[in-house]
Amino acid sequence: MDPCEIEFLSEKELVSIIPNFSFDMIHLISGSVGPFRAGLPVKVPIWLAVNLKQQQKCRIINQDWMDADSLNEAKEEEKLSKLFTKMPSNHYMEEAQLLLNVASDDISDADRIKTAIKDIWDIRMSKLRTSIDAFLKSEGLHAKLDHLTAMEINSVRPLLPHALDQMLRIQTGGRATQSHYSGTSQ
Amino acid sequence: MENNGDVQMTAENDDQEEEEVTAQSVLLAIEEAWLNEKFAPEILPHRSDLVDCMLQQIMHMEENMKRLDKEDLRLMIHRMELDRIKYVITNYLRARLEKIEKYTIHILSQEATRSSEECYLTVAELQFAKEFLTNIEMLFKTIALQHMPGNFQTFEVDTLTVKPNLQTYVFLRANDRINGIIVPGSMDEEIDLEPGSQHIIQYSAVADLVKSGAVKLI
Repeated sequence: MDPCEIEFLSEKELVSIIPNFSFDMIHLISGSVGPFRAGLPVKVPIWLAVNLKQQQKCRIINQDWMDADSLNEAKEEEKLSKLFTKMPSNHYMEEAQLLLNVASDDISDADRIKTAIKDIWDIRMSKLRTSIDAFLKSEGLHAKLDHLTAMEINSVRPLLPHALDQMLRIQTGGRATQSHYSGTSQ
Repeated sequence: MENNGDVQMTAENDDQEEEEVTAQSVLLAIEEAWLNEKFAPEILPHRSDLVDCMLQQIMHMEENMKRLDKEDLRLMIHRMELDRIKYVITNYLRARLEKIEKYTIHILSQEATRSSEECYLTVAELQFAKEFLTNIEMLFKTIALQHMPGNFQTFEVDTLTVKPNLQTYVFLRANDRINGIIVPGSMDEEIDLEPGSQHIIQYSAVADLVKSGAVKLI
């Protein structure tokens, strides 16, 4: 799947904004948003927040978890843990990317947040590569992938399932020849 | 929660109110169907009920939008949302068409064994599949087969059949609790899925669960 489609999915997540206009509730197919009161925070989907921000109709309030200190804590935890830790959002990478891109002026500490998220991503990806390697070497048939986020799963999609498919082909192929071989030799 | 395509804020009658409850859940169901279809190797049972319902919602919304002033903030917001929904629907339908084109013969032969209630293709898709096969056959005949010696001129359906690889590995998230899935290729190894847990496993082990909605592919 194309990474922009993962981003598309992440745009459904909610984020708080402070509108600079007032408007009644808007009934969308995916749910109602608003009412908007100038100066009062309201939760909207990210796609809407980004659009309103681009029209300079709102300020974006950072997601609670997008805070440099707590992200750095999460990073240390990720480093120490053998398993994947639970991320604050299934789309942490995309949300950070979207919000920091469009609203870096609303978000204080944007640079530190960016670095922390990138570090977390790097740690997790290298962990993921190591565990995939171990999984393939152990010839596993099933793996639990709890706490892996959408983008992380997508990043190994072309490789991991394909590698497993090929291994299966080699194994079944091998077995078929073997039984064929033992069949003819008898 | 109120959430149908009504731009005007008045819910005119109770029927409409009921529609409002489902619009959001239908959208979520379509999104899940889209991802399942995208990641499953085989074609899944069609969800034209969802698609038709959503198309109706879209039409309804577009009607309402005509009544809005061009400067109205809502116009832009509704238009953006409709674009997002249309993207999901077209992508879903396109994913199905791709599979139909790839596995035409296989799908048609499977479909022939199903009754009209349990068929996987919609009427339009079935017609498309049949026409597609006829066209392929015609193409083969006019381009090559008719120039072959007599005994090579038949269009051999069996040798041209492409089947999806059901043993391919897929990522999934469990919606419900499921016990005792037998891992294919193992010695009776069983696994249990907790709701919300994520796994990678052979598609064949979970194909029925995908179709019943107990798990979703991610």
